[in-house]
Amino acid sequence: MNLLRYLRIRNPWYCRLEVLAAVALLTHVLVVWAIPYVIMAALSASRPAEERGTGPLLPPMTDATSRRVVMPSPDLLYALCPFDVRQQPFRIQADPHPPGYWSIALYAANSDNFFVLNDRQAAGAPVDLVLVGPETGKASALPAGAKVVTAPSGRGLLLMRVLVGDYAAEREAVEAARRSLRCTPLG
Amino acid sequence: MSPANDLSPAFRPRWTGVLTLYLLAITIGAASAWLAVRSQLDSGGVSAGVWRTSTLAGSSDADLYTRAVIAVGALLALNRDETMYYVATTDSAGQVLLSRCRYRISGAAPAARWWSVTAYAEDRFLFPNAERRYSINGGSAPLDARGHFAFETGPTAPAGAAPAAPWLPTPGDRGLSFTLRLYNPAAGLSAAPASLAAPTIERLGSCE
Repeated sequence: MNLLRYLRIRNPWYCRLEVLAAVALLTHVLVVWAIPYVIMAALSASRPAEERGTGPLLPPMTDATSRRVVMPSPDLLYALCPFDVRQQPFRIQADPHPPGYWSIALYAANSDNFFVLNDRQAAGAPVDLVLVGPETGKASALPAGAKVVTAPSGRGLLLMRVLVGDYAAEREAVEAARRSLRCTPLG
Repeated sequence: MSPANDLSPAFRPRWTGVLTLYLLAITIGAASAWLAVRSQLDSGGVSAGVWRTSTLAGSSDADLYTRAVIAVGALLALNRDETMYYVATTDSAGQVLLSRCRYRISGAAPAARWWSVTAYAEDRFLFPNAERRYSINGGSAPLDARGHFAFETGPTAPAGAAPAAPWLPTPGDRGLSFTLRLYNPAAGLSAAPASLAAPTIERLGSCE
């Protein structure tokens, strides 16, 4: 400790190095913290302009040209809805009946998967969820019968997965399943 | 006249130097963060044979680094009660996987409602291939009488393979990894990911 005090008194560069090290450390932690937020925000904003405001994003069946998200599953058909519940709740409706697995998963702005509902849990019933933020849930009238889900962040992403065995043979059923998804802000 | 222009010529170089040092510190902090995250891709977590899985993928319990690693390497992963993701980057002899090599992947059908094995290149995207085959799954992999599957991967079709035989094309001379996805895994497996009866990855031939 005496050496540290000596260095501080005798050498102002030691103090400057301490500050610079602290800046580097703080930047390191901030960048690690921010990486998921930046990637999620970029994904939510990556929708082509001509498709904005026209319902869920429905990318084509995954193949080698699919480069929006790393490690895409070639066995799944996807539908995406960015959500923003800072001002108003967000209603999620779907009535999928594909031959196999499907799920609707909700991701927070930091990429945490905070909710998932799959076909077994839905047991054939239509999906009717109202996603609320911490402030929007109490202030708004919510639809009767809808299940309320509270998002941990104001913004995030919904990802619907529909399992596809043979796309050519199952196209009608799996496309109908993902096209049944409705994502609408509740005014 | 702006305040900056009021600075004396002797004062300006000193502030330029200080600013440069702070920018250097910020650059070092940002670069070390990125390198730390990249270095942890496909490492950590729980092992079952040569397959590794993160028990915190998609979980709100993930720490700062795990969350960043998942966002970079496996964005939008589901939590492990819904789906488990096992990644292999080496064969069962410990050698790094290469797309130009041939491999035989075999094992017991995993204890899950549905499973698949997908081949990814080093950029973590699918291999372009004329056959448009990107995965072998529980629906396409025939099982033997013991409930075991086996299929080959490689840059070309296995010699003498029937057109419909299950195999995974991995064209070119690139990095390679396999991802085993288990949708709706058995409760016991979800609770103990290391208990997976891990498929083996056997290199075939001399890899030339």
